[in-house]
Amino acid sequence: MEQTKINARQLFVLIVLFEHGSTMVIPLGGEAKQDVWLAILIGMIIGLLLFLVYYRLYLYYPDLPLTGYIQDITGPIFGKIFALVYVLYFLYLVARVLRDFGELLLTFAYPETPLFVLNAIMMLTVMYAVYKGIEVLARTGELFFTLLYVLAISGMILVVAAKLIDIHRLQPVLEEGWRRVFKVVFHQTLYIPFGEIIVFTMLFPYINNPKKTKIVALSAMTLSGINLAIMMTVNVAVLGADAVSRSTFPLLNTIREIQVANFLERLDVFFMIALIIGGFFKIGVFFYAAVIGAAHLFNVKEHHRLVYPLGLASLLLSIAVASNFPEHVKEGVNIATVYIHMPLQIILPVLLLAIAWIRQRM
Amino acid sequence: MKRKAFFLIVLFMSMTVLSGCWSRKELTDLAFVIAVGLDKTKDGRYMATFQVVNPGNVAGATQRGGGSGGVPITLYKATGDNLVEASRKGSQKISRLIYYAHTNLIVIGEEMAKEGIGPLFDAMERNPQFRTTAIVVIARHRTAEEMLKILTPIDKLPANQMIKTLQFTEKTWGQNISVHVGEVINDLTSEGKEPVISGFRLVGGVQEGERQTNVQESEPDARLSADDLAILKDGKLVGWISGKAARGVLWGLDKIEQTVITIDWKHKQEAIAYKVVRAKTSVSADMKKGKPVVSVHIGAEGDIGEALVPLDFSDPQEIFALEKKIQKEIRQEIIKAIERAQQEKSDIFGFGEALHRSDPQEWKKIKADWNDTYFPQLEVKVSVDASIRRTGLRNKPYMFGR
Repeated sequence: MEQTKINARQLFVLIVLFEHGSTMVIPLGGEAKQDVWLAILIGMIIGLLLFLVYYRLYLYYPDLPLTGYIQDITGPIFGKIFALVYVLYFLYLVARVLRDFGELLLTFAYPETPLFVLNAIMMLTVMYAVYKGIEVLARTGELFFTLLYVLAISGMILVVAAKLIDIHRLQPVLEEGWRRVFKVVFHQTLYIPFGEIIVFTMLFPYINNPKKTKIVALSAMTLSGINLAIMMTVNVAVLGADAVSRSTFPLLNTIREIQVANFLERLDVFFMIALIIGGFFKIGVFFYAAVIGAAHLFNVKEHHRLVYPLGLASLLLSIAVASNFPEHVKEGVNIATVYIHMPLQIILPVLLLAIAWIRQRM
Repeated sequence: MKRKAFFLIVLFMSMTVLSGCWSRKELTDLAFVIAVGLDKTKDGRYMATFQVVNPGNVAGATQRGGGSGGVPITLYKATGDNLVEASRKGSQKISRLIYYAHTNLIVIGEEMAKEGIGPLFDAMERNPQFRTTAIVVIARHRTAEEMLKILTPIDKLPANQMIKTLQFTEKTWGQNISVHVGEVINDLTSEGKEPVISGFRLVGGVQEGERQTNVQESEPDARLSADDLAILKDGKLVGWISGKAARGVLWGLDKIEQTVITIDWKHKQEAIAYKVVRAKTSVSADMKKGKPVVSVHIGAEGDIGEALVPLDFSDPQEIFALEKKIQKEIRQEIIKAIERAQQEKSDIFGFGEALHRSDPQEWKKIKADWNDTYFPQLEVKVSVDASIRRTGLRNKPYMFGR
């Protein structure tokens, strides 16, 4: 196990960057049309409850990551299997986000560059950061957090200044009733990005002030949820619900609409920077979790020895995971959510908590 | 030592990656398309016309005083079954890569518009190079190709001339509207709003207009000017709306920023000019007794610009009477516009969307018949609140001072 520690502020920054990650550029919850903000906020609230489950588990085992206490709770044989499943799950998510990232760049900025090259450059950067350890990742986060906020605030001011926002586009509220909203919540927004907070159960042992963990994580998730909701609401108010659900990157389209004073326009680079920063931290956190999970499971003393093999594996997986972008999206939204995220983010942790609670009583 | 050498090699290797030369395009290899014209050929294929900047002839052309200088733009044409094909085929005639990032204007020929503009925009929306903020206009009585040929004075690039004309006339006069590709797509997909696009007219002949001599005259033989508004229905051009009714459309769409309203006063026609400085329109819709009812409220503020009748503006009673008249005039403009749209059975005002917002359940039932059944018989209540804030530097007109 690594000896380094991260403080409460760094955890906050990491969670916020992680939650924004690739989700801020995709049409998150776009199927809820103009009620997307409701879908995100409800997803966030359920996500907060889910986090309390993870946190409770962490309180039982404050020194172990998820892959550690899962062995303690379910016994050595099942425990090892489940731990391996989680390691593979995190690796799969590394590949997924990496693929998202590469596809996005390829679609709008580098149409002639092979996907592998873009993914490889990103993965090498992530591998380097993870090789250096969690502290490096967290401190990089603090730097980029400011940059991302400066971008977001100036972007917001420009959108307002360009008079792009038409509140009417957000009406009628709940046109199709609550059903459509909850359908989106349970198919998408709950898992991505809020349920993915489960990856931080791998990082909790590294926090130097464990008392603050709960409040920091909850507030970071709330902030991210509100930010994402605002972002998608602005997208709908600028583009209209139909255009948002049809576009691959609504945020990019919104930014492209900006035309202020005849010279503040074509600000695509805002989108680009946000995408790269968000992508880097999301991939970084997942990858770190996969590496220490594997190191813990296979008793590798120095976890960074695993960085290169696992990095290469996830790079190849990111290419092999789907043959085209629509397939990749379909997998992510329709299949991964129900068959992968739901069992691993909700069912298994809740069961674990139940078992741990019962064993505590006995 | 070994470490240093390794470090150096890595540094050099990263040079090849970091310089970003993968899909580089040199400036001298790009053909900047500033406007695209779209027409249909006789055999039903698309003909795209690209107005390409002639970089050497744009800067400094005024200083040279014309004559020796070449034209600022060049046209390329290509036909194809779809736009992407036409665009790529254009490369046979042009020595540079066709580059769309600076395309600001889409001109659609009238014939093309009558057949339907529905399918035109997919390629534009999909291509990351292209901006959906490009302005769309329709060439009145002409093909798009003919419009794009005309050379213009003042703004050397014809596309810029057209865009700026449109934007400034929308701002100060209000009978034209500048809509961009994104808005047109939104209107095409919306069930309760049809697109309305500005027309552009060519005054004079193409023969004279396409030559450099056209811009060497103080009054060019061929000129481009913004024209009536096109009403579209189901993506097809169905009619034109002109004059005061066209301004009524902009009132209804809340697009009026400034304009001038002329009113009659005591037997004298067009006696007083009222300059609108600020205006705001709000639309609301409701279902009343199973029938949709729309109410439009317009608020306008402005000054007196000109008065050709004896009238004492220092008397508030006169001002009130005047305001009443102005309100009536504005009300008539928008009613004319609504009647014209109802005649064409095309809801260009987005009243359907207003109903959709206020009563989504009822809207679902009637949306299929909205344009053909409900909209033409729609009851629209228009109320106008115009106020005169100032009368300029004089209160009484000089002609009738005594």
